[in-house]
Amino acid sequence: MKPVSGTRIESVLMLTVILGLAGIVGMSRWLDVKQPQSNLKVQEEVIYLNPPMVKRVSVAFNGLAADVYWMRSLQYVGKKIIDLPPNAVVNNLADLNLELLAPLLETTTTLDPQFMAPYQYAASVLPDVDIEAAIRIIKKGIEANPSSWRLYHHLGYIYWEQKDYKAASEAYGRGSQLPGAPAWMTAMKARTLTEGGSRDTAREIYARMYEEAADELVKDMARARLMELDSLDQRDGLRRGLEAYKAVNGRCPESWREMGMVLRGIGLKRDSSGAPLDPSDTPYVLVKDKCEVNLDPKSKVPVR
Amino acid sequence: MAIAWNAFREAVRDRVLYNLVLFVLLLTAAAIFIGELSGGQERKIIVDLGLSAMLLFGVFIAIFVGVGLVYKEIERRTIYAIFSKPVGRGEFIVGKYLGLCLTLLVNVLIMGAGVSVALIYVSRGWDPLALRIWPAILLIYVELMVVTGVAILFSSFSSPALSALLTFFVFIIGHFSADLKGLANSLGSTAARLLFSGLYYLLPNLANLSQITPAAHGQVPATTQVAIALAYAGLYIVVILSAATLIFRRRNFK
Repeated sequence: MKPVSGTRIESVLMLTVILGLAGIVGMSRWLDVKQPQSNLKVQEEVIYLNPPMVKRVSVAFNGLAADVYWMRSLQYVGKKIIDLPPNAVVNNLADLNLELLAPLLETTTTLDPQFMAPYQYAASVLPDVDIEAAIRIIKKGIEANPSSWRLYHHLGYIYWEQKDYKAASEAYGRGSQLPGAPAWMTAMKARTLTEGGSRDTAREIYARMYEEAADELVKDMARARLMELDSLDQRDGLRRGLEAYKAVNGRCPESWREMGMVLRGIGLKRDSSGAPLDPSDTPYVLVKDKCEVNLDPKSKVPVR
Repeated sequence: MAIAWNAFREAVRDRVLYNLVLFVLLLTAAAIFIGELSGGQERKIIVDLGLSAMLLFGVFIAIFVGVGLVYKEIERRTIYAIFSKPVGRGEFIVGKYLGLCLTLLVNVLIMGAGVSVALIYVSRGWDPLALRIWPAILLIYVELMVVTGVAILFSSFSSPALSALLTFFVFIIGHFSADLKGLANSLGSTAARLLFSGLYYLLPNLANLSQITPAAHGQVPATTQVAIALAYAGLYIVVILSAATLIFRRRNFK
């Protein structure tokens, strides 16, 4: 047999590597296309290992494992939002079917009980999905971090959202006694008890939540709620304006332009057609026959 | 000291420190991309990732280099030349051990500096966490010293593959010490209780040296806690190196 030169062997090997890699890329793409749509039941399969077991098997790397679960929680919610149809408005996170969120956050906080961000996420996002899990996670956090006033703030917020103003006041009260707790925690104790359902209390709570949040989704949620509160105030003002107009003219206005003077008095921003703008800069809708004002369906202000 | 220095040079020659390149790539990628994924928790994740990688890489070096330190000398028959000189078995074992510890020290110091720089980068300026992680880094290094000692102990009487496996088991079980103790207390049979209590005290309690998660929250362990952990590890290392020397002294190289 004729000996093959070294250069030739090298060339053949090089070609094999290049063609092989190209083949691998092609086959992967083919597999991606041909792969059947993954079953929702499989996607939403519960986590097999319970949180204490995950903590055990993570050996010395429980902090890193907690980070992985934390990022998984964020991506889980993020992916659900991305998968929504364009222009869909989510007013309640329960609509996103976030079944895995509670176990993911339970695991994160068991792996690293001092990790504060997941508690805030559990308090602000989880109640819409699983209120009991949200309370359980925060209480577990309080047990592991008894000197953290923020966790009492989260617990107070959950109870307040459930309109359990007594429990909310108790939570704020207990948190306010901890070292380092800001003065507004004491104020919230009284406020949630005496005027729990008021807009001012809600505004205070969401403003604090916005300040404290590091995660963008939580910030967005707090911002949306603040917009909602501003919009409720604005709509009250507009309704009063509409009533005043009707009292003077004996009829409802045909367009916002007719109410120019009144709107100037209320001090709302207006678009070129004279329509007042909501906090997301979308014009309010005038319901002429009912002398009523509504949010535009395209508005980013949440409706509850 | 000459044996220790040679062991260090050999590790460098064997490109052991090349793992640093992988580490730097990992940290750089994390520092750049983790911000988008972590919901504002990049500092914690950088510390968790950096210190965990430091421990994991270090354990692999301690195990895979440690188990070969003695075996290679025997296989190459260079051990006969060493023992023809006025070098005791104990000096040989301790020298090899110190050589690998020096390699690990260089590794850990460079990795620690890398984590600190990554923290400063993600914080866009000075970050006190860059300093506060160092007690945890010290404890990681001490943990690696214990694992290296265990690897050398096993390699003094066993094959490299078996030594690596046994050392890895000790590393894993060393982090389950609390479970061993709990198991010992909860078992009804006296024999089983004695067995698990024995294992609890015999195997190194590495959980005492693990401060990665608190470090990621900026928590610095109390000086007393660190001092006791260091004393425990120091004593443990003395015991395992003595045991390794004892076993090694009985081997015939004539």
